[in-house]
Amino acid sequence: MNAFPLFRRALADSWRGLIGWALGLAAVVGMYLPLYPSIGGNPEFIAIIESLPQELVSALSYDQITTGAGYTQGTIYGLIGFVLVTIAAVAWGSSAIAGDEERGALELTLAHGVSRHQLVLERLGAIVVKMLALVGWVTLLVAVLNGPSELGLSTEGILAGGLALLGTGLVTATLGLLGGALTGRRMIAIGAGAGIAVAGYALNALGNQSSDLEWLQSISPYHWAFGASPLAEGWDPAIALLYAVAIAASAAAVLAFRRRDIGV
Amino acid sequence: MTPAIETHALAKRYGRETALQGIDLAVEPGRVFGVIGPNGAGKTTTMRILLDIIRPTSGSVRVLGEDPRTAGPALRRRIGYLPGELTMDARLSARALLTHYAQLNGSRDTARISTFAERLGLDLGRPVRSLSKGNKQKVGLVQAFAHSPDLLVLDEPTSGLDPLVQQEFLTMVREARDAGQTVFLSSHVISEIEQVADEVAVLRDGRIVDVSTVDRLRAAALRDVRVTVPASAGATLASRLERLDGAQGVTVVTAQGHDIVSARLREGIPHFLAALTEADVLDLVVQEPDLERAVLQFYGTASSEEATA
Repeated sequence: MNAFPLFRRALADSWRGLIGWALGLAAVVGMYLPLYPSIGGNPEFIAIIESLPQELVSALSYDQITTGAGYTQGTIYGLIGFVLVTIAAVAWGSSAIAGDEERGALELTLAHGVSRHQLVLERLGAIVVKMLALVGWVTLLVAVLNGPSELGLSTEGILAGGLALLGTGLVTATLGLLGGALTGRRMIAIGAGAGIAVAGYALNALGNQSSDLEWLQSISPYHWAFGASPLAEGWDPAIALLYAVAIAASAAAVLAFRRRDIGV
Repeated sequence: MTPAIETHALAKRYGRETALQGIDLAVEPGRVFGVIGPNGAGKTTTMRILLDIIRPTSGSVRVLGEDPRTAGPALRRRIGYLPGELTMDARLSARALLTHYAQLNGSRDTARISTFAERLGLDLGRPVRSLSKGNKQKVGLVQAFAHSPDLLVLDEPTSGLDPLVQQEFLTMVREARDAGQTVFLSSHVISEIEQVADEVAVLRDGRIVDVSTVDRLRAAALRDVRVTVPASAGATLASRLERLDGAQGVTVVTAQGHDIVSARLREGIPHFLAALTEADVLDLVVQEPDLERAVLQFYGTASSEEATA
């Protein structure tokens, strides 16, 4: 078995980290979701939400928090789960090329019998597998807790929510990859990946504030993912935009990385 | 025969900075070709271009008859490369890392990894990042040699190695040459180039100052001579030596009732001997020519002065 050596190496190098991320997500999901029955229909909690400034509530997407889908969205997919997936995506996307290059290890790898595009594609493949594992794990946990936590989510909603979360992770990771492929600088790669996630979140939150700013949501990956409430409403075509951007960024990364000098 | 390495007017600029300004090289197959020069002379840049890690600004380059820019991975499988700045911070064991590199080259043969590791005294079981600098360098050497490449490109290969391992490395280089492999290596330790290289290129400020054989460099090198004659005879001998073409830096020192005449000679040994016949020589020392000094002569105006400093 000598196929895809870089892909296999990348996975073998990161299984420890992957387990860490999985444990973190399990802790978060396992902590928040079982609280829903005591919060969702609780009049005191609803009163607290209503007493908060409307801008804050809409920025945090808490306006639907009394429904199972809204609660799951507001706590996991739209907030802490999104943050963890984003951080993992930034870390993986920026280290695949830029981190390796800044450490000085990439030069020796490329001096062997691998092509530039093979390196980008195999390492991208490893990132995709890891993101799939992470989001698949979240999806599984949500599905398992759906009944006991009285969330009332449909299977379609859970799957759509997973695809939306996966899409945001892939956009972030591939932009980090692209930043590294273009420049080889780790901080630029991190900035590109984290930047798109933060900007997407901010644009969406601003767009929630008033109808004058709503147009901002049309350029927010976060809004493409969660604007149509996939957990409640199921698949939305805007989610496909995330995958289109991820594919475009990956293709650009391959082209950029074939062109430039390494390690200078 | 196709040269193993051939470059014409190879130039590399980074923005305004010029790293190479027109390198012409031809390295015949089965030779050991040394590159020497101070830091920043362009040794590493040249090597990285051979591996397509960086691309030249202008000029042409052929490695094993192919253009590294377009030949792709197949060409790099035929090259073993040791970078000058080796990063070895992997968690995995040396064996796992070396097996990984072998797989990148499409090689299933891991027996040679063990063979070379044993020769260099490298423990393959330890995590790479816990190894000392010298042992990391051994990992680098093993990955360069393990797949029996047609061409070895070695940037400062002995840095961090202790003297015994350096000797083993030089043996490996000679064996590679005897097996028909070409070796292109850089060093600032000139003695090791002297020991293995058939040809030497001297690089300075991105230019080749000279390409020569070690023998020719040696012939061109200055050798120190010291002649002890009776007191008061020194001045006569010194003036005679000063008239020789190949002699420079003639000095006379009086010590313990003798005159010691020192000079540096380039070629012209017969004339020197002839000049001595008329003197009453009490002692004569001719030092082996120092390649290091021969090379340093190319490096600047310090050539005839204290080049060994």
